[in-house]
Amino acid sequence: MSDHDHPHDAITADAKPGYYEIMETAIRELLIGKGLISANDIRRQIEVLDSRSPALGARVVARAWTDSAFRERLLADGRAACEELGITFYDDTDLIVLENTATVHNLIVCTLCSCYPRPVLGLPPDWYKLKPYRARAVSEPRKVLAEFGTVIPDDVEIRVSDSTAVIRYLVLPRRPEGTEGWSEDELAAIVTRDAMIGVVPVTVNAGAVS
Amino acid sequence: MTADFVSRLPNDLGGAEAGPVARVDHELAPWEKRCHALADVLDFKKIINTEEKRKGVEALGADLIAKLPYYERWIVAFANILFAKGLLTPTELAGKMAEVEARTAAE
Repeated sequence: MSDHDHPHDAITADAKPGYYEIMETAIRELLIGKGLISANDIRRQIEVLDSRSPALGARVVARAWTDSAFRERLLADGRAACEELGITFYDDTDLIVLENTATVHNLIVCTLCSCYPRPVLGLPPDWYKLKPYRARAVSEPRKVLAEFGTVIPDDVEIRVSDSTAVIRYLVLPRRPEGTEGWSEDELAAIVTRDAMIGVVPVTVNAGAVS
Repeated sequence: MTADFVSRLPNDLGGAEAGPVARVDHELAPWEKRCHALADVLDFKKIINTEEKRKGVEALGADLIAKLPYYERWIVAFANILFAKGLLTPTELAGKMAEVEARTAAE
């Protein structure tokens, strides 16, 4: 098998563009010249990408923890429930929200590439796109989770969901004990990206760092 | 075992042997973010959809996939798909790349 773990070159601010960067600029300018896309399309989409981060997913999770009717709608139709909160889906994908319980732990992966719930989490981390996670999440999820420091008891079922170009998943983590009476904002602050991928639980000590 | 060559295409990694997960990440370089935005715009405009992009990467073959980082794979795949769809020609791209290179070298 090929090895997908290759280092990126160090990024320096004043470096001359490399071959592939030149290719990107050339393709973009040619397509704009032909009227197939516009410079404004690209600029607008960069703004959209910059507007997406795990903070959006954290809001969704916190709402689901505090509003059981919303939670039901979220589990029935993830995309529609996120749209209720003003989160737009720019990439024509469906979203299935997977609820962790006392007996089931969910994990998401894209074995074929890097499909990910970008509208609600932003872009995936590099490790999600690299071979070890993609290869092993489906065959030995408990070992992979242990590498993230997450030990799932043997009597808890692990379900791994493999994303596609049009179906994306988001994990609804379990609400940690000791958060009774917390506000939605306080709850959102402890929900991390990795918890919504399913590789770690939400804990009361976690900051909103992802 | 030559059967290994056809039993799995390069993107089909599920269940393969692999080492431990290193929790690596990096902030996208500006051109990588532009490349991502280009991919999204090509999808919205129904020029190249996500599955065509994935297949385009796969069509690069295991050797190139192993050697090129993520967005480098995407942009090469886009070039090939655009050639195949008759939306760009290799000559146009080569000419434009030479122009962009000369322009940025002069900056």
